[in-house]
Amino acid sequence: MNRTVLIIGIVIVAAIVFGLFAGLGKDPQHIDSPLVGKPAPPFALKAVNTGETIDLESLRGKPVIVNFWATWCVPCYEEHPTLVANARQLPNVQFVGVVFNDTEDKINRFLAERGSAYPTLLDANGKTAIAYGVGGVPETYFINAAGTIVAKYEGPMNTEILQENLAKAMR
Amino acid sequence: MIATFFLLALLQIKVPDAAQFVGAPKGTPLSGPQLEQQTMVISHELRCPVCQGLAIGDSPSIMASNMKAQVRELLERGYTEEQILSYFEKSYGQFVLLKPKFQGVNALVWILPIAVLAIGFVLVVSKAKKLEVEPVHAAAEEEPADDPYLARVREMVEKP
Amino acid sequence: MTATFGRFLILASVLVSTTGAFIAYAAGAKRSPEGLRWSQRFAYAFAGLMVLATGVMEYALITHDFGVQYVAHVGSTQVPLWVTIVSLWSSLEGSILFWGFILGIYIAATTWVNRNEHQEYMPFAIGTWLSCGAFFSFLIAGPANPFLSVSPVPLDGPGPNPLLQNHLLMIIHPPMLYLGYVGMTIPFGFAAAALLRGRLGQSFLRPLRASLLLPWVFLTIAIMLGGWWAYEVLGWGGYWAWDPVENASLLPWLTATAALHSAIVMERRGVLKGWTVTLIQASFLLTILGTFMTRSGVFNSVHSFTQSSIGPTILVFLTAILLFSVILLALRIDSLEAEGRIESAVSREGMFLVNNLFFVVFTFTVLVGTVFPLVVEAIKGKQMSVGRPYFDAMVVPVGTALLFLLGVGPALPWGKTNRKEMLRALLPPLITGAIALIIGYAFGIRNAWTLVTLLFGGYAAHVTFAQMWLPLRQRLKKGDSFAPALIDAQLRRGRRRFGGYVVHAGAVIVFVAIAVSSTMRTQEEVTLARGQSTTFAGYAVTFMGTEERAEPHRQSTIARFNISKNGQPVTTMEPRMNQYAAMREPIGTPAVHSTIGRDYYLSIMNIQGDQVGLLIINMPMVGWIWGAVLLMGAGGLIALIPARRRTYVVVPESAPTIDDEAMA
Repeated sequence: MNRTVLIIGIVIVAAIVFGLFAGLGKDPQHIDSPLVGKPAPPFALKAVNTGETIDLESLRGKPVIVNFWATWCVPCYEEHPTLVANARQLPNVQFVGVVFNDTEDKINRFLAERGSAYPTLLDANGKTAIAYGVGGVPETYFINAAGTIVAKYEGPMNTEILQENLAKAMR
Repeated sequence: MIATFFLLALLQIKVPDAAQFVGAPKGTPLSGPQLEQQTMVISHELRCPVCQGLAIGDSPSIMASNMKAQVRELLERGYTEEQILSYFEKSYGQFVLLKPKFQGVNALVWILPIAVLAIGFVLVVSKAKKLEVEPVHAAAEEEPADDPYLARVREMVEKP
Repeated sequence: MTATFGRFLILASVLVSTTGAFIAYAAGAKRSPEGLRWSQRFAYAFAGLMVLATGVMEYALITHDFGVQYVAHVGSTQVPLWVTIVSLWSSLEGSILFWGFILGIYIAATTWVNRNEHQEYMPFAIGTWLSCGAFFSFLIAGPANPFLSVSPVPLDGPGPNPLLQNHLLMIIHPPMLYLGYVGMTIPFGFAAAALLRGRLGQSFLRPLRASLLLPWVFLTIAIMLGGWWAYEVLGWGGYWAWDPVENASLLPWLTATAALHSAIVMERRGVLKGWTVTLIQASFLLTILGTFMTRSGVFNSVHSFTQSSIGPTILVFLTAILLFSVILLALRIDSLEAEGRIESAVSREGMFLVNNLFFVVFTFTVLVGTVFPLVVEAIKGKQMSVGRPYFDAMVVPVGTALLFLLGVGPALPWGKTNRKEMLRALLPPLITGAIALIIGYAFGIRNAWTLVTLLFGGYAAHVTFAQMWLPLRQRLKKGDSFAPALIDAQLRRGRRRFGGYVVHAGAVIVFVAIAVSSTMRTQEEVTLARGQSTTFAGYAVTFMGTEERAEPHRQSTIARFNISKNGQPVTTMEPRMNQYAAMREPIGTPAVHSTIGRDYYLSIMNIQGDQVGLLIINMPMVGWIWGAVLLMGAGGLIALIPARRRTYVVVPESAPTIDDEAMA
């Protein structure tokens, strides 16, 4: 029995197998946000549907849900009704949609067809999305009354996930 | 172009800015070929978040071209490479850095291969020393054979 | 019906491979000739069942039998016949079946070739192969079963993944890769047999080496085809991104290459036996690791097309064979050790040791870089990335060192030499190196690494060429006439040697072409309106307009560009944007205009009305990479053709008669 071979072999095997087992079941596309627990990057953008200017800092005092999306994204179609319905039911929560790299008329057509219940802002060159660390659309950030990001969710939203994350923002 | 600027002015009253995250620019503003070159360099150190492991410099996606545009803009304003990387790191974490920092556990990814090279070098030298013997020229060039019988067969077969 | 028959065949192959493995191991332990014969029969039966099952699947695909789940999943009446045929490996279940098919053929062929030889080792080898066969049969029977029935039977299917349909390279790349990956099972079985026996005789080196060289050739070509595919399809103008799946294919190639080198020292000097066996084991283990990386969905990759639930199953298998190999090595490595000695560290054999060191460091670096983010996330819960800048920084020096050895190693004589002889061997190639350096400098190369690559490359080319023709020169000196001497010295007697140096020549070109194409590439992003032109790298590019083309599975926008040089039209290039029904973002297909010296590469970034955003890349020497890798493969094949039958001499233990064939 060659002890050296055994020990080196077992160490290498353990490291590889441990790493791979730990990786199982994880979504490699998922990006942890370092912004959770930090102040939300401020922005003030004009809403394409309502015409008003939304300044994030002026929304302090109530929870804000910022949803990044685009008209060319299929899961965004899926989640849209959920967001609209919840926005109508939760008057104390400010919903904000942010669309990057899209045209105003496409967005307005999308909203006209599928309903709109909250301001949708155009982030023309994606700067806001980058500052939030958006890694794909749709992606939703939950901000509490103090202006701190409390949660980030990747992928299409449903009511259950929305409630769960919103609870963190209400605390 | 003018129409685009007008539109931007109209819609974007305020967007998040690097100044809030990494302070004032610490370098000199770049322009011309130097700007293009440095944009390329930094674009290859940032991972495109919507792609599969590609750098933003290599990715054809919209998100990547947005990020590249931002890198160029920050360089124009005089931000240093370090500042720009740390700006993106603030939003995306170390995930976005394709070149891991020499810091904490992550330093191991740099140290381990070099350690293996060093240890391997010592092993090779000691192994070579151990195996080294005085030359025995006659035997060396002959192909070693398993058993004398096989050697005899070979000899017979090889004769023309 | 077809589905049921397919399931039956797979269940039979689970049974046959498991039973066969037990019989073979028992036969090995008891040294029973009867047992060996039975295990050979089981090996053939396993192959037969796999071939039959694959035939059934192809039949179902071609006849569009949508009652078979896999056909319903990837088949379509809308796609051309060739797409239907290659659909076998377009998705997970089919590709595992295809794996089993190739494994079956490899096992049967190797068993048959060695049916009367190496009786000492064969039972253990067959046992190990059939154990692997049992695992893959189990995978096909359970977690990745392509033969499940579908009811109600659909009228049509969606067709295979669109990305796989847009380039003909996709027909040959996967089979090549599988031939490389699966083929590593064979040397693994031989190595395991040597360890189980606790002996590695000189005569057993030939099958060991040959069985390693064949998949090495396939893997070499497959890696190149994968890079070529990325270059032709993905549109960023690169062929290698240090993506996990690319790394996965490179890892076993590196250890196999190291093993092929250490096997030469083992053959000449009788040393490094345990080490060579370890490298062979590692090559196989890394192919399974690579399969896991590609199939588990744990890694982010541009080459991963299927995410599936077989990850855990493969990982369990990987863990099992890792432990099997480590324990077996620890138990037996000492009994294989040195019968021989080397004479001097500064000799060719010494350089082989250094070569192996660098190959191992190379492998280790790529492995660490690929797996490290997973380990860190598991320990610290923090994400990180290891990407191209890391690999470039770490691997380029190692690669350069290997190129250096590629020149210096073969220049050094075997055994001990005096100083004068050594200088006479090492100095002359410097001239060629210097010439290459000067030519590169004259062509405007200023990157230090590229210049060093040219220096070492020129040096290595000189040495390789001199070594390649050494036997011929000796023949001519002896007074032989040219033609017979050429054939005899290079292609008959010295085939292995000659093939080896052909591989080296190819490798030198690959090194230089990679260095030049990656550091001398220039690119520009432009926006052109219809009719507008731009000049870049000597060509004028004029945007002629776009054309829409609707195909069943995609909608394409084709942009047409006229390319001219000094007012003379050169060619028309048509990069396109494809919008597939199943994908969110449009995917571009670049257009490449290749000439001997360089590639001119157009890739569309966006199309808005009459304007096109275009990426133009000028890449010198890229085409040389593909050609040189083919040369490496050809060299491997030359070395692989068995030497004259004399090495096939059968030596029965009791009756010392000489085969007629051997005498001929």
